[in-house]
Parts: sequence; structure tokens; C-alpha cells
Amino acid sequence: MLKKAFLLLAFLALFSTAFPSGAAAEQPLTFGLLLVGPYNDHGWSQAHYDGGKYVEKKVPGAKMIYIDKVNPADRPGVTIPQLVDDMVEKGARLIIANSDDMKDGTREAARQHPDVYFLHISGDDVLSGKAPSNLSNLMGKMEYTKMMAGFAAALTTRTGKIGYLGPLINEETRRLAASAYLGAKYAWETVLKKKPEDLKFQVTWIGFWFNIPGVTSDPTQVAQNFFNTGYDVVLSGIDTTEALTVAGQKKKEGKNVWGVPYDYIGACQGSPDVCLGVPYFNWGPAYIPFVKAAMSKTWKQEWLWLGPDWKDINNPDTSIVGFVPGAALPAGVKPALDQFVKDLGSGAANLFKGPLNYQDGTVFVKAGETAGDKQIWHMEQLLQGMDGSSSAKK
Amino acid sequence: MRVELVDIHKHYGAVKANDGVSLTVAAGELHGILGENGAGKSTLMKILAGFTARTSGSVRVDGKPVDYRTTAEAAGLGVGMLYQDPLDFPQLPVLDNFILGQAGTIALDRRAFKTRFLELADSFHFRLNPESPASSLTVGERQQVELLRLLALGVQLLILDEPTTGISATQKEVLYAALRRLAAEGKSVLLVSHKLEDVEALCDRVTVLRLGRVAGEMAQPFDTEQLLRMMFGAPPHPPMRCAQPAGDEVLALDRVSSPGGRSGLVDCSVAVRRGEVVGLAGLEGSGQEVFLRVAAGLKPLQAGSVRLSGQSLSENDYHAFNRRGVYFVPSARLEEGLIPELTITEHAALLQERRTLRVPYPAAAEDAGRRIESFRIKGRPRTPVEELSGGNQQRLLLSFLPPDPALLLLENPTRGLDLESVNWVWRHLHSYCRRGTAIVFSSPELDEILMVADRVLVFFNGRIILDAAAAATDVQKLGSAIAGKV
Amino acid sequence: MASDDPAVHPIIRPPVRDVLLTAVAVLVFTSLLLIVSGAPPLDAYYHLFQGSLGSWVKFAHVVKVWIPLTLCACGLLFTFRIGLWNIGVEGQVMMGSVFTTWALRAGSDSPDMGAVFIAISLAAAALGGAIWAAIAGFLKTKGGVNEIFAGLGLNFVAQGIVLWLIFGPWKQPGVASMSGTETFPAALWLNAPALLRIPPVALVLVAAALAATGLILHTTWIGLDLKAVGRNPGAAFLYGLKPSRLMVLAMLFAGGFAGLAGNLQVTGVYHRLIPAISSNYGYLALLVVMLANYNIWLVAPVALFFACLNVGSIQLPMMLQLDSSLGGVIQGALVLATLGMHGWRQARSTQAEGRAAPGSA
Repeated sequence: MLKKAFLLLAFLALFSTAFPSGAAAEQPLTFGLLLVGPYNDHGWSQAHYDGGKYVEKKVPGAKMIYIDKVNPADRPGVTIPQLVDDMVEKGARLIIANSDDMKDGTREAARQHPDVYFLHISGDDVLSGKAPSNLSNLMGKMEYTKMMAGFAAALTTRTGKIGYLGPLINEETRRLAASAYLGAKYAWETVLKKKPEDLKFQVTWIGFWFNIPGVTSDPTQVAQNFFNTGYDVVLSGIDTTEALTVAGQKKKEGKNVWGVPYDYIGACQGSPDVCLGVPYFNWGPAYIPFVKAAMSKTWKQEWLWLGPDWKDINNPDTSIVGFVPGAALPAGVKPALDQFVKDLGSGAANLFKGPLNYQDGTVFVKAGETAGDKQIWHMEQLLQGMDGSSSAKK
Repeated sequence: MRVELVDIHKHYGAVKANDGVSLTVAAGELHGILGENGAGKSTLMKILAGFTARTSGSVRVDGKPVDYRTTAEAAGLGVGMLYQDPLDFPQLPVLDNFILGQAGTIALDRRAFKTRFLELADSFHFRLNPESPASSLTVGERQQVELLRLLALGVQLLILDEPTTGISATQKEVLYAALRRLAAEGKSVLLVSHKLEDVEALCDRVTVLRLGRVAGEMAQPFDTEQLLRMMFGAPPHPPMRCAQPAGDEVLALDRVSSPGGRSGLVDCSVAVRRGEVVGLAGLEGSGQEVFLRVAAGLKPLQAGSVRLSGQSLSENDYHAFNRRGVYFVPSARLEEGLIPELTITEHAALLQERRTLRVPYPAAAEDAGRRIESFRIKGRPRTPVEELSGGNQQRLLLSFLPPDPALLLLENPTRGLDLESVNWVWRHLHSYCRRGTAIVFSSPELDEILMVADRVLVFFNGRIILDAAAAATDVQKLGSAIAGKV
Repeated sequence: MASDDPAVHPIIRPPVRDVLLTAVAVLVFTSLLLIVSGAPPLDAYYHLFQGSLGSWVKFAHVVKVWIPLTLCACGLLFTFRIGLWNIGVEGQVMMGSVFTTWALRAGSDSPDMGAVFIAISLAAAALGGAIWAAIAGFLKTKGGVNEIFAGLGLNFVAQGIVLWLIFGPWKQPGVASMSGTETFPAALWLNAPALLRIPPVALVLVAAALAATGLILHTTWIGLDLKAVGRNPGAAFLYGLKPSRLMVLAMLFAGGFAGLAGNLQVTGVYHRLIPAISSNYGYLALLVVMLANYNIWLVAPVALFFACLNVGSIQLPMMLQLDSSLGGVIQGALVLATLGMHGWRQARSTQAEGRAAPGSA
């Protein structure tokens, strides 16, 4: 009996050492995903959730656990370190935190768990040197696709008034709003040959990434306000789809209006008849290197700000950001948009080229120069020509 | 309707509230149930009214055994009970209180009910406004409303539990007339009381309960001595007047007016001297309540001033009055005078001096024990006050009075007490008066006032209408003064 | 302490049978709810248990919730004792956090003085909560405003102040976000040893609060006076007590303890001021105290149970794709069932009132 068992053990040992291949270096890995909003929000959090699913599909041995609505309003008393502790107990070796709001909590948790890898999306702790070595940052260059959204909006608007439904004000949101404006301005001046002062681009901030009743402004009301005051295209900068929903309602009431959602490839589904298209994130392919590095323990701290795959910005396996035109995009606009995308890719259209001034008239990019990544990342104000506050109300 | 109770037992654990009670109420009979506090009267009536289940025994109506468990089922058989404190809805108008609980209230015809109400009220000479809120009524008037409601429900056997407590002499007469009329119409009336004179004045027949058993029965004409023996075993001694020679002025009110109650207090000037016992008479709400509270510093004045031993005091500061030896004992013991859920020890502690941070509970418990013993209170230091009977609560309140107060203000100090307890209370209070304390008390019982007070003040509409020595007046004079005629 | 104290009123100790009945009723109710929402109840209970007591780390998180909850509950014992419904406890927690943040902001430039500023912030927090509670107290005693309405109003105002501070004067440089103020440097955090994971200061604080509350309520004049006024203010006045002053005093205690809870939320948990800084612990503490039947000895275990549910319920969405509000449902159902049971017992004892004084006519 004992002998048999011994033989079996020996056989198993032999069997397992017989295949020392590359797969052995890559251990199976559970990764935990912390989502700031609902996993099915048709926006920011769903894009991440789908990214995680993509990884599970593409990387053998990768398994996702997730928790959504991770914010103090939805889950009072729950903290990031607490959730990380739990996920680590459940076997997670890599934690992906998907919100700017989780910055401090993620850093705190990363210090508590030096043997676990952390990926904080949209943050810059690595850049600022605050991050411990097991914490990396990742972001996609949504600026390009925001430009496309702005471009489509400017070619579509009848009133020349574009509204931008902004979340809270920080560097990221400023540069995204500014990019949308640059795209709109480019279309207005270069394609339509209209005077820049006739284009109105208003940014209204609600105070957070999504509606928290009683805490933020109500995005539905802000959107309604836009449409009621002559703005006929509203671009969304928030995690959820209120702008598009309200546009759909106004359309039913007979108004000729459009909306542009954000973040999630399927966001147009809610109201396709008013959707000009959606700039979205495609996190799956961008996650994979981090997941693999965690598996093979070849983790290297990184701050990654990835651009689209210009060969095909909508390639699900290669491009971190993309823009899908919507059903409501006027037929005449489509070719111009395609050309714009091509020009952006080739560098023929470089919208961060000077001269560009901040809202208060100070210089952002001097004439003849082009803003570098860090300059764009740390944008201090909205740009001249845009309406709306650049930082907190005084 | 003829109702028989046969061998009724009601046991609460080891306590036998009813221990084999049998009695018969004939149709058209005014039947009294007499007994001191704790004799088992209320328990028996609650069993009859379906409010409490009996342990054993049977009830027969017109010779047939009946079994019911709820007040609604009892009402269906024609048995209705008028409680000591009528259970009505104070915020609703009188008419709604009348309508509530009557059949057919789903399709409500207020006008028809109003007509019926006014007819009924008129036939009994009840003066009730159907639209005024029930909260504005006196106890007696609320009782009248409840009585009308029970009659409208078709009651054949009416049970009244201490119906004369807290109502005026006039209301008592009106009630008696109404009850006599009901009996003449063939309805049976069961009157529960510990007051001999009530039962004697009204009933055809009396059953006396003592310690849960029937102590005896008697029909008109009654022999008072014998009834008292049945109630107590031996008749108690009536209290005597204190009759101290009056000393210096203790309390003086000078042209005082103050709102409150029905009529407030109007332009009242009076002085009370050391060792004097002053009884306040008058219809409920005629100003006695306000008088007592103004004298205690519990109410603001509209006009006038209050002097204590010649010194003017700022109004409405009971604690300052208290420091000068004024003590007020309210009528509603558990509502105003005692603190429910606190034990006797805790009450005793509140009276102790505060020298330490911690409450000296052991000392307070000892103190409580002393009070319990010397005031013969049926309870222990750990007993929460709400578990004491009414008489014991009153004894406890009196035990809290300091040995030598300057002025005692007592509101209705013998309310709801049986004769023995009343006598005990007055013997105790008179010991104060002999030490020079001035006592001012109110009471709805003129006999009591005449018996124990040296002086009577009669209130009418907020004014003192009569100020007389008790020896120089009588029930008739007081009665007409109460009605406003001097 | 209670055994040799003759004045401690025999607390209503529900018979074991009633407690079991309540527990079974709640269990059946939540199980039905789980079955309806398509989840296996046993799994859910298992995850709730594992998620709260499954490991030391989890238990440490439970304790971190238990501490502010217990602090608030201690304060509420004072106000319940005098018959006040201090709904405003939520706002008092927030003001504790605001005052804490205010004190710590002054200290964020001198990191070597961290301990000093944390100490100052604790005092400031108790003061902030007490001030906020005193407002409700004075509105009640001077203005005749019911403390429930005053408390609710003040909660809204406190939340407004928190939002205004976060979005206005205390915003992060260059940022306008409802996410919160800038995180304090680690020198201003309440230190938690890596193994314990709970700030010892917080543990000492809550132990002291429990002991102080028990001693004050059960042995001192304050406790007796509060109880007397709570049961009958009019009669208590006749015994020489000043109900208005005592009501404000009770509110000061409640606000002070709530303020400390607010402090720990900033110094020990979030390390900054956020809109939801109070985490609803004030409201939850009201439930705790009610379920504990206003009994100091039961407050700590009941609060611990609530903290377990709060921490454990995060497992429901993670493991079973269920909404985590089930934890709240269980808490609410428990309180309702207990109150219902209490009411039923009272009705039953009123029926048998003759027991105390047979025929007490």
C-alpha cells in the first residue's frame, strides 16, 4: 500500500518536472478589481469590468474578483485598505484600483502589502515619486478621442453652442475638456471655416465622477439646463450616461439635439438616435502586460500613458482608447471625421501645438512649440475660448 | 337582564384577587359593590366586562351560562363598563367619541348620530356640546359622553367603576338621576365604589367584598355600622380637626391673577397663618388648582404679588419657595409627584444632600427603609413606585415631606383612597399642623373638608366667593357657594 | 457594579425564549428575502461570518467600525436616559470631523508635532460635537423645538458645512472635487501597529468612554438626575432638579462622544475630510442603543454585532453578487422585531396588571 503511494508520488513528481516550460514561470493569478461605480454603469466602471473579463479570457490562469460601488457614499465606512485586505485574503496578488478617488487608499494599501502588486488607473503617484515600488500607474490617451468627439460635435451643432458635462475639476478632467474643445475648434475653423468667436464651448462641473444626491450637482439637471439654453450638443465627461439620456428625452420632445457619452464602448445603446459616437476605453489589452508581469514576478514600476493604435483605433486587441461613431452622426460628417482621425495619427493635425493660451491669458504652449506629455498631464487651467471654471469656485 | 356570577376565582400567581365570589344582579336593580382598596372589586368587574379572563367559575345571563373572552363579546351580550378614566380620544370632538365603536360607522351619517346624541343627552339633562373637543371636558362630562355611548350601543347591564371620583357634586346628582332612570327602564346597574355614602345614596342592594371574598350582602335600608364592619372588620376612627390657635402669617396673596384651568385665578387676596388647615372647595377647575400652584411658585402671575412670611418672592420659582419651606404635593401622584421606573430608594436619594460625586445609594436605601416602615408602605426599597397601589403612593409622597415645613400645599390628598387610608393621611397631616405647619388642601368632598379643615375657601369662576370657619358653615351653605350663590 | 447597586432598576432582561424567538423571526425573514433574491441563505450567512470574523485582519476592521459606533452609542445613552431622541448625533459626528480637520490643518506644516496636534484635534472634536449638540439642546429647552426636528435640521446643516468646506475653503490645490480634502501627512494619522492594525489610542478611548458612561450613569448624581428627568420632568422639578439644564448636559455628553467618533474617522480611517465622513454611524448607533435596550452592558456586544454585519456584508456583492444592503436589512429587522417583541410583552403585562395590585381601584 505504502509502496504504491510512494510510486504514485514519484510518478507525479517526475511528471511535473518533465514540463518545466515557460508556463511554470507564470503562476496562475487572481487579480482584484476595485470599481468606483456599478459594474454595469455603461460608463467608466463597466469599461474596466469588461477589461477584466477580457484578461480572464485571454490570459490562462488569470482569475478576476471584483467589488463595485467602491465610494464612501455608496458604501459608507468601507475603505480601500479594508477591501484590499479582503481581496488579498481571497488570494489576489494584483489589485487594480480604477478611480482617481482611490489614490490615497491605494497607496496606503500598497504600503501594507509590499508583496502584492497594485495598479492605480489614472493616477500619477509614480510620476510624483510618492508610490512604493509595488504600485504602478496606467492611463490611456483619451485626449485624442475626446478631440474626435469635439470634432464631431462642432460639425453637427446648429447653434454653435457645445456643452461639456464635467465631473470634478483636476488635471485629468481639465485636459480632457480642453482636448474636446481643441477638436471642436479645429473642426470649426479648419473644416467649417467659421470665426472662432462664434463657437461657444461651456464646461459645467458637477463635483464628482457621478451623481451623489445631495453632494454633487445633479447631472440630469445640468444636461437639461444645457439643452434648454440653446446648447444642442452635450459631451459627457462623467462616468455615467445622463447627458445622452437627457438628449434622448429632448429628442422625443421634438428638439434637435445630440449627445456624446464617454468611457464605455456600448454607451450609445441607451439612446442611439441622438448619439454622435463615443470615445471609450478598452482596458483589456492594457491590463495584460501588468497581469503577466505579476504572474512571472517580473514587475517593474511604471507610469504608462498609452495612445491609441493608429492603425485601427477600434482594434479590441491593441488599442487602449477608441472612438466609435454613433447612429446619429450626420452622414456628411463621417468622411471629415475619418480624415481627422487619419491626420491625428499621422501627426498632420497636432492640436497641442502652440500658440495656446490658458483661460486667463497666460501662455500654455508658445507659438511653434508642441506640448509634451507631462505638460499636458499637468494642465493648470482650461484654455482660452472655453467657458467654465478652471478650478474650484473662489 | 339578570346576571349571575357563580364562584368566580381569579388568581395572579399566588395572589387570589377573587376567591370564590358569587352574586346576582336582578333586572332593574341598582346593585352596589363595596370594599376597600384591594378587596377585589375591580378585578371582578373586569371579568364581568370581558376585559380579564377568570381562572374559574361561571357567568349566567337570564339563567343561561355564557362564555366570552373580550369586551366586544361582552358588549354583544349587553354588558358594558364605564371605566374610572374613560378611554376616549381627547383630540377628537365629543360627537366623534360618541360615534366611535358603534355599529355601522363605515357609512357614517354624522347628522343622524348628532341628532341621536342630542336626544339622548337631553333626556338625561346632560349639557354637552357635541362639537367641542373631548379634551376640554371635565372628568364628569367625559363620563357622561361615555355613558351615552354605552347606552347607544344597547347596554343592558351597566358597570360603573368609582364613577364619583373627580366629578362635582352637581354632576354626581345628574349621574344618580340618570342611573335611577335606567334602572326604572329595566336595565341593571352595578356600581363599584369604596365610598359608603355613594352606595347608600343610590343602591337597592349592596355586596361587600373583602380580601377577594364576599363579606356580606345587604338591601335597603342599610345599616352603616354593619357595612363598615363588613368592609374593615371593625369601623375605623374618623379623624378630628387639628384646631391649633392660628399663629403668624405664612402665606399671603395680594390681588393675584393668573391664567390656567378653566377660569384661572382672578384678583385673589388671602392670608394663611401658622397651624391653620385650609380646605379649598369648588367645582373642578374653578381656580383651586391655580391657587395651589401660584402659592407654590409653580405658575407665573398676571397681576398681584405673593408673600411668604412677610417677604415678597419673585414669582414662578418653585425652588426658591421650596427653600423657604413650601412643599407642593400634586393630585396626580404618578403623573406629577412620583417618577415612574425609579425605585423608592432612588426617590429617597433625590432628597439627600449632595456632598459627594457618587450617589450614596446604601444610605438612601436605609433611608427608604425607614420611610417605608414609619409610613407603613406596602413595598420595599427596590420597588419601582409605579408598582405601589394608590394609597401607598400617597403615603410615600407624604413620607418625602420634611419634618417641619412652613407650608404644605396638597392637591386632593385623599383622592381614590379608602376610608381607612383617608383617616390615616389626616392623622398624619394633623401632626404637622400641631407643629405649626400651615396646610392648604383641595378636595371635592365637602364632608372631608368640613371634618378636617379649620377654614374653608370656596372658589367660583376663579374667585374666592366664600371664606368661612369650618365650624360656622355646613354642606348646604358650601354647596350653594360652589354653585355661585352666597 | 450593578449587583451591589440597589438603585439600578432591574433592567428588562427579556427571557431567553423571547430573545430566541426574535432571532428566529429575523433569521426566517432574511432567509426568505435571500431566497426571493435567488441566493442560498446558508452561503450568505457563511460569507457574512467569514467576512467579519474569518481572520484577524477582518476582525481588526470590525473593531475599527465598532469603535466609533460604540462611542456614539455611549453618548446616546445619556440622551435616551433623559428621554431625548438625539437624532442629531449624525451631525455631531460630522462636526467632530470638521473640528478635527481644522485642528490638523493647523498642524500639517509641523509634522514632528503630530502627537500634539492629534491630541488637540481630539479635544477640538469633542468640543465641536458638543457645540452642535448644545444647539439642539438649547433649541429644545429655550425654543421649544423638538429635538428630533432640530437634530435632523442640524444634520443637514452639518452636511452642508462639510460639503462647503471640501469644495471651498479646504479644497485641494487646483482641484474642485467632492472626493474630499487633501490627505494629511502620515505624522497626523493615528498610528496602528502593523500587527494590531487598530490604533491603540482609539481602543483606550473607547474603553474609557464605556467605563465613564457606566460609572456616570449608574453611580453619580448626573445619572440619577438624568433618569429622573427622563421619566417625569415635572415631578423631577419638584424634587429640586432643573430639567432644562440637565437636558443640555445630556446633549453635551452625547455630542462630545459623537465628536470623538468623528475625530477617529479622520485621524484613524480616512485621514482626510470626505463628504460621507460620518459613515452613518450616528444613525446606526441609535439602532444599536435601541436594540441594546438602553443598557450599557449590552451596547458593546450589540455594536460589535452591527459592526460585523457592516464589515461582513461587503462579501455579499463580492461572493454572491448580492446587494450589500442586506446587512442593513438584518440590522433594521432585528431592531423592529425586538421593539415589536418588547411592545407585545408590555401589552401582555398590562393585561395582567392586576398582578402588581389586584383590584387596584
